[in-house]
Amino acid sequence: MSRILMTFGSGFLAALAAGWLAFPQIAYRQRQQPLAFHHQTHAAKSGVSECKDCHAFREDGEFTGIPKIETCAACHSDRIGTSQAEATLVNDYIKKGYETPWLVYSRQPANVWFSHAIHVRRAGLQCSDCHGTIGASDQLRPYEVNRISGYSRDIEGRSSARLGRSPAGMKMSDCEDCHHKRGIEVGCLGCHQ
Amino acid sequence: MEFTRRDLLTWGSGITAGLVLTPVPWKLLDDTSIWTQNWPWIPQPARGPVEVKNSFCALCPNGCGMRVRMAAGWPVGISGMQHHPVNRGALCPLGFGAHQLNWHPRRLRQVGHQGRACSWSDALAAFRKACAEGPVAIIDGYPDRAASAICHGFARRHGSYRVALRAEQRALLPYEKWSGVPAAALGYDLENTGTILSFGAPLLDGWSAPGRFARLWSVRGAGSADSQLRLIQVEAAPSHTAACAWRWVPIMPGSDAALAAGIALVLHEEHRTAPNAPVPSTTLADAAARTGLSVDAIRDLARLLCEHGPALAISAQPNPAVAALNVALGAIGTRGGIVRRGRRTEPLAAADTLPSHLRAVLVDASVPADFLASTEAEIFRFAAWEGSAGRNDWLLPAPGFLEELTDIPTAPLSSIETYAVAPPLSKPPAEVKSAAQFLMAVDSSIPDVEKIIHARCRQLFQSRAGHLQGEELAAAAPPESAQAFEKQLWSGAVWVGDPPHFGGIPCRLTAWPQSAAPVARAGWTAAWPAPVLPPLATKLYQESSLREPPERRAI
Amino acid sequence: MNTRYGMVIDVDRCTGCGACMIACAAENNVPPAAERATPRTGITPMLVHTVSNGMEGSLKREAFLPVACMQCENETPCVKVCPQQAVEVDASTGIVMQMPQRCLGCRYCMTACPYHARYFNWWDPAWPAGMEKSLNPGVAVRMRGVVEKCNLCHARLHAAQEKAAAAGKREIDPRDYVPACVEACPTGAITFGSLADENCAAARAARSPEAFRLLARLGTEPKVYYRSARAWVRALAEPRNETRRKEVQRG
Repeated sequence: MSRILMTFGSGFLAALAAGWLAFPQIAYRQRQQPLAFHHQTHAAKSGVSECKDCHAFREDGEFTGIPKIETCAACHSDRIGTSQAEATLVNDYIKKGYETPWLVYSRQPANVWFSHAIHVRRAGLQCSDCHGTIGASDQLRPYEVNRISGYSRDIEGRSSARLGRSPAGMKMSDCEDCHHKRGIEVGCLGCHQ
Repeated sequence: MEFTRRDLLTWGSGITAGLVLTPVPWKLLDDTSIWTQNWPWIPQPARGPVEVKNSFCALCPNGCGMRVRMAAGWPVGISGMQHHPVNRGALCPLGFGAHQLNWHPRRLRQVGHQGRACSWSDALAAFRKACAEGPVAIIDGYPDRAASAICHGFARRHGSYRVALRAEQRALLPYEKWSGVPAAALGYDLENTGTILSFGAPLLDGWSAPGRFARLWSVRGAGSADSQLRLIQVEAAPSHTAACAWRWVPIMPGSDAALAAGIALVLHEEHRTAPNAPVPSTTLADAAARTGLSVDAIRDLARLLCEHGPALAISAQPNPAVAALNVALGAIGTRGGIVRRGRRTEPLAAADTLPSHLRAVLVDASVPADFLASTEAEIFRFAAWEGSAGRNDWLLPAPGFLEELTDIPTAPLSSIETYAVAPPLSKPPAEVKSAAQFLMAVDSSIPDVEKIIHARCRQLFQSRAGHLQGEELAAAAPPESAQAFEKQLWSGAVWVGDPPHFGGIPCRLTAWPQSAAPVARAGWTAAWPAPVLPPLATKLYQESSLREPPERRAI
Repeated sequence: MNTRYGMVIDVDRCTGCGACMIACAAENNVPPAAERATPRTGITPMLVHTVSNGMEGSLKREAFLPVACMQCENETPCVKVCPQQAVEVDASTGIVMQMPQRCLGCRYCMTACPYHARYFNWWDPAWPAGMEKSLNPGVAVRMRGVVEKCNLCHARLHAAQEKAAAAGKREIDPRDYVPACVEACPTGAITFGSLADENCAAARAARSPEAFRLLARLGTEPKVYYRSARAWVRALAEPRNETRRKEVQRG
């Protein structure tokens, strides 16, 4: 009997360990951002103190998202610092007119419509409510992409079991939870396209 | 202790039980389902800033104004420009899919000589040689543009300039013959017409600038019995225009001229014809027999024309009998009739007859795809897509839709002069070159399109004639300087000339003209000059039965 | 205030040009026909039918009926039959929202729709190389195996909502939300607006005595109305089959 228990138990524990410890390691592939961007440096030193100084709204309410190379070139058309990252930015991107291929943590599928104007301007959400305090970070965390679905780990949440602070990630159920808490019901095409 | 099969099964069930209590199966299910919804071969739209810009369609000489929605730097949607006096926000159905034409599988991307791939320098060398050896002819399909001035300037030095006229422009040729006023300076004052007698002209289905008449007809009481604008469609078979017309008059095919003569006879009998108008020599009975209508029906038509005037007769193709009917109706140079706009005195030389002993002929991309040059000379054919008719010794890839800067001169058949500038909104492939650029490479003394446009804008501003029309202009004061004026034009404003001047078209017609040969019915794609249809045209004729598939247009 | 978006199509103004069909396809990223596509298997979220008065020769009269999703309000047939809840009626706008990404392709809704206004993606969408640059970013591209239909150009509603939110307003400006077919029509035959707003042009046109709805006796309460001064056009709203009419009367 104990033999059965032990055999069963060893399989059971092995599975638990594999599922909770090993699986999250192998489920994601690590990718590095093209440049080591320091949010904190920009916030502290250059007078770019709020998120909206680079991540702004256009006139028709569209959100610019990750800034284009022109925004960086406004200050960095020539080297103004000493870091290797800035050298790469100026020489390989700004001077050649290429867009930096940033890996976007919050990239949603094409059939999702998220309006920053409605959530920030109308609902008054703060950037950090969904994106965390990325503005205070001094390095970009590595971009972990799910090997099967192809989306960033930030969308699903760091915990595979979706435990942790709310919102755990940026999946549909996270949006639904917040909407439910605030009593704002939206139909399918309110968030999809 | 050996590890038996039972142990394996027990261990396996332990693994299974454990796995169920981990996120693994649920996560794998979720991730796999997302994977199945994101097949890599399904194209995704580009993400990028969306903006709306003004431009004008130069695929046909009507130059309809468009609002073009751009995403990530490429056109993704077309809608009409409300403030353009010619199309007033409407476009032809194919125009809404025109932004996809530049990637049509039959896009020309390679210079070709008699089926072999060549380079631009080969073509230039051959053309230079041809110019040195003998006269050349330049054929233009969209006259009066800046590019046309380049073609004309080149032709003055090296040969002759000709224009490939469209059927609707040709329909005005009889008036040119009888009055000396060039057909290119004439238009229809449809905005003031009371009754239109259309001899098979597809007014609501691809005639002239399709949007112009559609808007006008709609605004002036379309479809209602007491409409302000009465459209009488004379046509053998029911067309879309006949279905919507105030009245449809079915006649025997090819008897348009007989009906025109019959109506003119009735007008003459009842002393309602214009002074000095010629009288047809046939009889009313003859007209009735040919058309299949009764004599009373013809009298009734004549009465209708006089009842709700001004009346105007329009034919799709040149028909001297219909033109003579307009003389009888007194519609030449009067309100609601044929009017003169602009001060042009030189007629356009048609490309139907080319000079003999030509060494080469250069055909611009604006010339419709079904144009056949009747010549033995070497033909240099510019086109953006494959499918141009005839023997084209050289096939030269030209810029496509919205890919080059052009200006938009007065639309054919309109009652007022207009001018606009159409900036390019789509990046052309590296391999294309327009005929104007080609000619500039051969003769470097020719100024480029942009310089000509600057000069024209300055000239227009200094003339102090007309006014600018544009959505942002409604509140603003008129521009103070030539630069401000030009800037408005570059951002989509339209210069509109003074209202038409009535009178001034002396018509000398002494005898009723011989009847013309029966004309073929203009199909719905006759107005579309490019060799290929926009890909989405399949909605109209393959994925529905709304339209007949076109005979010669490829998709 | 909740809106009930609907349309009134003036049949007397429709010339059957098909501009609405092409503009709809361009706005909604509908691909050009697959080589094997036919009128039965093609995708035309807006489809213009040619109808006639049944006579021949010189007595024949034709008209054109643009048909898209009728946005049924009562017992919406497609919503009732969908096993996936891939379609639902939005309470705040009245739009019948089709979610192709949720659809499993059973096509039960296509059977249920009395207006044949739903279309199945028999093939994967394919555009010639490079043409994907002309795709509208506001609308997701579907894959094969799912049903799609007119969603009243929801991408344009999104843009209008975003513009209003950016300007700090709660309600959208009606001039900012114009579906592609309405905008494209050269004769302005389609009037669009909220039928709940009594003063708007669409609501007033829907109340006209010459207005009618197709198959109104089914009771689905479509929000797309038609209008014509011609009696024979209005008579097209119900089938002319004598037997059928008797069946209906018997209950």
